[in-house]
Amino acid sequence: MTARRVAYAVGCALILTGAVGLLSDAADDHPIGWALWFGGGIVAHDLVIAPLVVAAGWALRRVPGAVRAGILVSVLVVAGTLPVVLALGRKPDNPSILPLPYGRNLVLVLAAVWLATGALVLWRRRRDRS
Amino acid sequence: MRLTGPLHNAKVAARLGTVLGVCFATAFLTGLFSHVLQHPGPFPIPARPAGLYRVTEGVHVLTGVAAAPLLLAKLWTVYPKFWAGLRELRERFTAGLTDLRARRRPAGLRDTVALSAGRLAVIPLTGGAIFQVVTGLTNIAYWYPWPFFFTTAHYWTAYIVTGALVIHVAEQWRTARPALAPGIGPTRRGFLTAVGAATGVLVAVTAGETVTPVRNLALLAPRRPGRGQAGVPVNRSAAAAGIEVPAAYRLRVHGAVRRERAWTLEELRALPQHTAVLPIACVEGWSVSARWTGVRVRDLLRAAGVEADATVRVDSLERGGRYRASELAPAYWTDPATLLALRCDGEVLRVDHGYPCRLIAPNRPGVLQTKWVSDLVVT
Repeated sequence: MTARRVAYAVGCALILTGAVGLLSDAADDHPIGWALWFGGGIVAHDLVIAPLVVAAGWALRRVPGAVRAGILVSVLVVAGTLPVVLALGRKPDNPSILPLPYGRNLVLVLAAVWLATGALVLWRRRRDRS
Repeated sequence: MRLTGPLHNAKVAARLGTVLGVCFATAFLTGLFSHVLQHPGPFPIPARPAGLYRVTEGVHVLTGVAAAPLLLAKLWTVYPKFWAGLRELRERFTAGLTDLRARRRPAGLRDTVALSAGRLAVIPLTGGAIFQVVTGLTNIAYWYPWPFFFTTAHYWTAYIVTGALVIHVAEQWRTARPALAPGIGPTRRGFLTAVGAATGVLVAVTAGETVTPVRNLALLAPRRPGRGQAGVPVNRSAAAAGIEVPAAYRLRVHGAVRRERAWTLEELRALPQHTAVLPIACVEGWSVSARWTGVRVRDLLRAAGVEADATVRVDSLERGGRYRASELAPAYWTDPATLLALRCDGEVLRVDHGYPCRLIAPNRPGVLQTKWVSDLVVT
């Protein structure tokens, strides 16, 4: 119980440090814009992304597990690399920023994911038959 | 709506949460280290080991990349709790309102307050975690679709999410520990394996921007450092910084010195030259080692006569910008590898790399390796 109280106190102190810091650096971190992004993340996840995942899960309920795993890995890889693949940060004066053909490379990476998925499906089929 | 799949479960949440907690703790500590290097405080920072910042910042960015799929999976696992919490709160508030209308004291008021506080505590946790991962991943892709300065917002939000995480771990410890016991069944194991695979793929296609031996795997990294000067990426080009090297260029040493000194580029080239293999390690997580040749900063400062405990400001020809100057504490300017480099990998420095000369020092964030150096000001 004591350990928990200490943790609560430390946690609250850290949150307070962050909040005070944000307000004291207001010229830099634009608290209203910050709050919109902070709250926007929660709203986007809880009210848009998660319901879409629920719907997708329902639509894919009869798809074999290995294929669903392939879809899950693909979606997570696309989500994690989206800012790079969109490459909106490119600058005409600096070719060293985002230098690669990211669309093509994403296709290559996803192809590797689906090769592995295909191998998993075949292996499972063979295992279940024998 | 009721979500009751086998994945919405404490066993899965505890496993994902443990790994995610390690990622966030690592990112917090390495991030603090990066902050301290950029904003020197009362603690002196050693200039050695030379590659330390390269490692810590690479770890910082890669744990952030790894956290993205883990966070999505974790939020998915506990998503029903969001609706269950809202439902319970609504029921309690309606019951409370009925009590108030009937001029009764609302039953279970303390529980309602505690429950509301518990639900509210999730806001800094999920909001902070999503904010840190989304802004971090977008920032390493050099895309800034927000009104705030990334570094400051990411820094302060780190305290908020870490504080919320400490509270969360304390709160969940009792349920999470038994849930970590072995035996989770094939469906849950399959889900965790898929999430782990996605994490592995993301790290594998990014890590090569800082782990040179696997650079060819960096298919989806925002940078692809290569060999030679042309292979060393830059954050700010000379054009973007508005650099025009004046015909009468001089490197000046002034401030608290015994005699002010100034060298033309020709004179700098005639001084004893030294070579150091040092990385450019960027705050955005990419890094690459190069062979830099030039004049030791300590030789220039001693030629002007400085105190051993002096601090030196390195000024650039840049007229503005947050990083037009940087500071060298004694541990840095006395280091034999700290150079004003005139050449990189055997060639004369390109203007994007800081021609006529740039600072290069060990264990230092790239934004502090000041380019287009014009003045060393001793304070």
